[in-house]
Amino acid sequence: MTAEPRVRSLDDPEILVHSPAAIIDAVPPYPPRTEREAEFYTLADGEMFINLGPQHPSTHGVLRVVLKLDGERVVDLDPVLGYLHRGVEKICENGDWHHAISNCDPLEYIASMFSEAMPVLVAEKLLDLDVPRRAEYIRVLAWELNRISSHALFIGWLALDLGGLTPILYGFIERDEIVEMLAALTGQKLLFNYLRIGGVNGDLNHEFLSRLGDWMGHAAKRIEDQMRLMNENEIFVGRTRGLGVLTRETALRTCVTGPPLRATGVPYDVRRAHPYSVYPELEFDIPTRTEGDSYARYLLHLEEIRQSIHIIDQVLHQMPDGPVMAKLPRLLRVPPGRAWVAFESPRGQYGAYGISDGTDQPFRLRIHDPSYFTLQAVGELVPGHLVADTMAIMASLDPIMGGIDK
Amino acid sequence: MTALSRPWNRLSLAGKIILPLVAVLIALNITLVVLWMSGLLPFLVQAILDTLGANIAILRFLLAATIILLITVPVAFMNIFFEMKLIAFVNLRIGPNRIGPWGTLASVIHGLKVLAKEDFTPRGVDVPVFTLAPAVVYLASVMTLLVVPFAPGLHGYDMDIGLLYFFAISGLGVVGLMMAGWSSFNKYSLLGGLRAAAGMISYELPLILAVMGIVLLSGTLNLNTIVQNQSGSFLDWYIFQQPLGALIFFIAATAEGSRPPFDLTEADSEIVAGFATEYSGMRFGFFFFAEYVNMFILSAMTAVLFLGGWNAPLDLAPIANALGIATPIDIALDPGSMGPGLLWLVLLAPPLIVGGLTAVIWMLKSDWSIIVSAIVAFVLFNLLVGGGVMLLLAMGIDWVMGLVWFLGKTIGLSLFFVLMRATLPRVRIDQLMGFAWKWLVPAALVNIFVTAAAIVVLHEIGRPL
Repeated sequence: MTAEPRVRSLDDPEILVHSPAAIIDAVPPYPPRTEREAEFYTLADGEMFINLGPQHPSTHGVLRVVLKLDGERVVDLDPVLGYLHRGVEKICENGDWHHAISNCDPLEYIASMFSEAMPVLVAEKLLDLDVPRRAEYIRVLAWELNRISSHALFIGWLALDLGGLTPILYGFIERDEIVEMLAALTGQKLLFNYLRIGGVNGDLNHEFLSRLGDWMGHAAKRIEDQMRLMNENEIFVGRTRGLGVLTRETALRTCVTGPPLRATGVPYDVRRAHPYSVYPELEFDIPTRTEGDSYARYLLHLEEIRQSIHIIDQVLHQMPDGPVMAKLPRLLRVPPGRAWVAFESPRGQYGAYGISDGTDQPFRLRIHDPSYFTLQAVGELVPGHLVADTMAIMASLDPIMGGIDK
Repeated sequence: MTALSRPWNRLSLAGKIILPLVAVLIALNITLVVLWMSGLLPFLVQAILDTLGANIAILRFLLAATIILLITVPVAFMNIFFEMKLIAFVNLRIGPNRIGPWGTLASVIHGLKVLAKEDFTPRGVDVPVFTLAPAVVYLASVMTLLVVPFAPGLHGYDMDIGLLYFFAISGLGVVGLMMAGWSSFNKYSLLGGLRAAAGMISYELPLILAVMGIVLLSGTLNLNTIVQNQSGSFLDWYIFQQPLGALIFFIAATAEGSRPPFDLTEADSEIVAGFATEYSGMRFGFFFFAEYVNMFILSAMTAVLFLGGWNAPLDLAPIANALGIATPIDIALDPGSMGPGLLWLVLLAPPLIVGGLTAVIWMLKSDWSIIVSAIVAFVLFNLLVGGGVMLLLAMGIDWVMGLVWFLGKTIGLSLFFVLMRATLPRVRIDQLMGFAWKWLVPAALVNIFVTAAAIVVLHEIGRPL
């Protein structure tokens, strides 16, 4: 005997169906435009779709991933981008070069000292400008501090997505201290707007230095102490080791850079490969690991924090005296030409390709964001894993949606 | 009289409630007077009392069930507070500190907030199942509390199959979770419900198998008898005879109560809130409460089965006897039996202590006059002395001390559950299942085998346990 259908269908409230599951069926968001979409939005027997995001507790930002599930196992996935799209590249063309700095700020909102460097470095390259050495050292100082704050948060997020409550708050302790420090230097806590074409906005001040001194005294030891909660935690290692193994070939093919690439054994770091600023004068290692899994990426981030502390130490010892801004006209007309700059952000190689037509506005500013290319690897890494691992893999790749959606 | 002259549908809500009550009261009074005048009243009262006396067991059961249903609320509040405060401590945060001393009432306010929220039923859900699911989950937890022995003579119902009843009813909660997951019309809920079913059914097995050793040792399923078997010093607790069983039971209990690191059913970073995703208001509150009541019950069962339940870790009577203190403590209120020194002390101590307290309060509270300070000091002194005497008296009562020990052990285990949540990440579903079937179940079987063999061998050589 079959029971009467008594659940109202969502599509048509007049229709009664047997159970909610009976009306859970595949509805593509629009008529499929490509073969890949048509294939993806066709369900085999026993499969179902699940929308991860754009509002989900653990997709960082507003990434939406459509997962095709067989039980709990991910068969296929389709990242849907653009929820944070603002057209930054176009906005940059409408303001002058100085405006582009603050427009690029929110792209990498966890470490915006890096994304705001794009128009600065492009303009300086086009101008063939000699930036004062003190300004360069201050930039490196700010970059490395911001890199540590971003990495500390990465570690916390990874733990949070694996269900650990505590490391995120330990990560935020470091981030808070660094952010307060940078706020003393720049006046802002999130979007610093500190770098300028030809230097930086303001010299080091007393509050910044005293905060930095306090922090440097205990930072290295405290980070090591806090990470003991995770380093040899049986569950954490069991969840991340061997998970989401990114091979060297896949990483190179999908243009992955930064920690995910270095975790596969490729020692590519723009700071060493194509040195910029005063990085050639500083001594630091490019840590690599060969496993390429989530655990390797986690350990790599820890090692990079240590290296960054080492760099900051040297910068503070070698900091020269002098001005922090080059002499520049108030209306800055950048000579016509094209320039490509690349630099190492916490998430990989940030690149910018700028074209100037001789006016005070950029003619074109193309932004190459590392998160976008890291996200491509998700499609290769996640299928075959469980839903829970989707979070661990995505968190360990550490994409930031501001830069991806631009 | 305006209320009476007004039509019913124009009355306010308060009027609609009060008016029938007044009518009922008048009717009752008239009935009472009539019964009294006709001489029927003593007869009726006697009949009612007789009926009650004859059915005292049913009365006791109803009373116990009501109390246990009500006791879950403070228990849940307590556990939620511990969770908030202790995790905050581990996280280097302050945690709740606004409402009540040290924020103790924060969880109560959370409960009220949940009550005040909109109870929303989304379109597309299977309404009867959706509505029933929280009740099933909550009642399954509450019903297991019925057989937990809190203290000597303090238990809901002394069942001979208490242990079996406990496992049978606690398994019922899975049905509620499945109902919630299935009826919610949400794929996250569905995944959560299925995870709950898979995980809980897998972990029932090691949970029950781990206890079999105790059943073999004690020869009973009655929880009261199991606790009585562990009386004596703490070396008589079953954890020392069944260490492996205790470990397996505790791990399986963590999974059974879906506590971290096995809280896959409501893994917030993966499936939003699991089976509770579509629930709001007090229906969500019931799930939430059930989880914390479950935590208490599983801690209580671990305490009862392995840590001696209400038994004190050491029998203090010999020490007290050696010191010359009679047990149970007997307070003689006969001034004549005191020596003159003691009598002087009794006479002089109250004014001296009150004076001292007055001075201290007067100095601490600069805006109070000395008279107010004296009054407060007097009240404080009375409370302290009265409390002290009550405490001494209560310590003589068997079940009060039993309850203290039982709650101490249970809360200690609950705090351990909370600490695990603060420090451990979540396991994956395949690791969860693999751990149950590959490690816990074989280990529990080995435990049963070793226990049984040990019992037989000890019996053969003439030294039964």
